[in-house]
Amino acid sequence: MKKMIVSTERVLELIAAYGAEPGAWPEDERAAAMELVATSPDLFEAALEDARALDQMLQNEQVPEPGPERSDAILAAGPAPKSASGGVLSGLSALIFPQGVRWPAGAALASLMMGLVGGYSYASTGVSYDETDLAYYAGFDVELEEDWLGVE
Amino acid sequence: MSGISELDQITRAAAGDRAAQAALVNRNMPIVFRVAYRMLQDRAEAEDVTQETFLRAWKKLPEWQPKAKFSTWACTVALNLCRDRLRKKKPVLMDELPERVDTGLRPEESLASQQALQGIEAKIADLPDRQREALTLCALEGMTNIEAAAAMDVSVRALESLLARARRALRAGLGAELAGER
Repeated sequence: MKKMIVSTERVLELIAAYGAEPGAWPEDERAAAMELVATSPDLFEAALEDARALDQMLQNEQVPEPGPERSDAILAAGPAPKSASGGVLSGLSALIFPQGVRWPAGAALASLMMGLVGGYSYASTGVSYDETDLAYYAGFDVELEEDWLGVE
Repeated sequence: MSGISELDQITRAAAGDRAAQAALVNRNMPIVFRVAYRMLQDRAEAEDVTQETFLRAWKKLPEWQPKAKFSTWACTVALNLCRDRLRKKKPVLMDELPERVDTGLRPEESLASQQALQGIEAKIADLPDRQREALTLCALEGMTNIEAAAAMDVSVRALESLLARARRALRAGLGAELAGER
């Protein structure tokens, strides 16, 4: 980064405009101006002393505070929270469909889920025999396959 | 600086978050009021301007663009409102000036202090409007030259010229009181 160079005249302009406190000087010129002041303090002593006296008086300036009723009035007029009109259903919908409900996509997803659940239920209970069934049928000497098929 | 950025705070305030709104008001209301008070020299009017500034802010928040700090934007609005009022304002009579806050000083100290403060405050009030605006934003509220120039809608060089003239006028007007500060 190129180093900023300021002239004596420019530092005097900064003091005249912004005062004696370097923190109030423009950020991009501050370091160079401070360096010049440190190098040649005699050039700036009188200007800094004048500016410092005025800075001190400005710091002592007093301004009243605004009344609390004004901040109450301001806050009372602030934007209202968004209303939760849907209640529980709205919250549930937002949970399931965080991007919002889109009916064609939602219906397709619901159909898919119903198909999967129905299919799984049938597959898990439809045709299998567990050990209890087999013991029962063995005890009564039932021909499982023929009985099942209705063949004597 | 708090953990929540100003933009987050503004977004939440726009969505109706009361805590964010309160934080925005608490942080920015004092500077808006002080700027308005220095321009108008009237507490009630400065409070009116402050309130109007925030009412405009509430409308602006949903479309807020983080091009400037909220305080800079608010001071710009407040200054414009003050300019409108100053154009219509009648001259302020001395017996209408606001009362001073009790500082707890002894009578002789209080008198000297009051005279000095009235001196600086009266001299600030006597400055031309644009010089007073520049001095208020930079020297009294600590804005950077870029922020103050943006709030006043002038160039940085123009701002510097206004500041230098304001300080020169104050030094000339304060005279002996200023010598006592050295």
